[in-house]
Amino acid sequence: MVENLIETKNLTKGYGRTAVLNGVNLIVPKGAVVGLMGTNGSGKTTLIKCLLGLLRIERGDATVLGCDPWNLSAAAKERLGYVPQQINLYDWMKVDHVIRYTASFYANWDYVWSSELAERWHLPLQKRVQEISPGQLQSLALVLAIGHRPELLVLDEPLASLDPIARRDVLRSLLNLSDDGSRSILFSTHISADIERIATHVAILRDGRVAYFAELDDLKEQVKRVRLRTSEVFPTNFRVPGALRTQVEGGTALLAMPNVTDSLIEELRERWQADVAVEDLNLDEIFLELNHHD
Amino acid sequence: MTDFSIQFEIRPSSGVPIYRQIMDQVRAMIASSRLKPGDMLPSVRQLSSELEVNMMTVSKAYARLEVEGLIERVRGTGMRVRPQEHTGSLEDRQSELREMADALITRGQQLGLTESQIISVVRNVLKERRSWSKI
Repeated sequence: MVENLIETKNLTKGYGRTAVLNGVNLIVPKGAVVGLMGTNGSGKTTLIKCLLGLLRIERGDATVLGCDPWNLSAAAKERLGYVPQQINLYDWMKVDHVIRYTASFYANWDYVWSSELAERWHLPLQKRVQEISPGQLQSLALVLAIGHRPELLVLDEPLASLDPIARRDVLRSLLNLSDDGSRSILFSTHISADIERIATHVAILRDGRVAYFAELDDLKEQVKRVRLRTSEVFPTNFRVPGALRTQVEGGTALLAMPNVTDSLIEELRERWQADVAVEDLNLDEIFLELNHHD
Repeated sequence: MTDFSIQFEIRPSSGVPIYRQIMDQVRAMIASSRLKPGDMLPSVRQLSSELEVNMMTVSKAYARLEVEGLIERVRGTGMRVRPQEHTGSLEDRQSELREMADALITRGQQLGLTESQIISVVRNVLKERRSWSKI
């Protein structure tokens, strides 16, 4: 049986009268690296905070490591790592002090690994937290979140303030962490390039719900752009059931479609006497298509 | 085998899933004899860390190539390139190629190439492949 480390059903959360999350269904299976994508303001951070018990959900259910997130047990917390978007650490502490201080809260802290990461990411151990750069702060927060080799790692925009080299380094460490398939990662981002190398799954948050959840490979294999060309003119109300988006320009029609099959292509070809070309879409393009509002 | 991964050109932000890119490139290496029967592929761990992609992506590619019969799992050692077997009659195998030939000719004609110019392209590619396999 596949165990899910995170599972939500119809999770709802708003601020005042504004609903931010409106029935989120999300699962993070064991061993999965789930990239949570969404435009700014789509509720990624709110969702993550609900999952960690930093915000209380209004309606619906959520289970994280088998617990209600609002009442995470100490045992569950030992299995969990988190890097928030806004990192707050004691400014006056030296970097190595922060690491030792955090480690002292965990029975399962891996000191060898945390020193190795600190060295690899060039963390200035003797500097005070207030003196280090935003990128170094982010790397430090990551060391603090993964030093105890958590089973579930939750990252809110973990790469946002890193330069390209540090980014690759961090991605590499995340790959190492997910290596043996027993650990899971949920990370939010609006940059699809971060997801493409390491994610096994993608969840796209839109209008307060998970609009799309799939394995990344399946997403790329299933969602295609279909270009139809015919000598006639397509009617302006031209629609194909299931299309995410349709654009018509004279004798050319452009469709973004999930589940493009050979029989569908054949059907379109016959019905419209059209040349049909199917194009692959990368994650960025799929994301744009899924977020397109007519 | 240490220089194996540099032969791969993985584009994470392509519309083609990464495991398919790996499969296509292993296939091409076998077809052009850069990988010969009996050669070992790098381990899943090694290739995934060198290409900086998820291990599951590499094992998925290997598993599918195994199903296709191009490589085989050797217990305790890893994946090995299998001897090339051609199944089906000559006619069957040729007809499998027809569809691609059709597409090739169409594209050639669109580019305004003559029959003999199209054929010469194919000849040149075959020639290049032969010189590859001598390396």
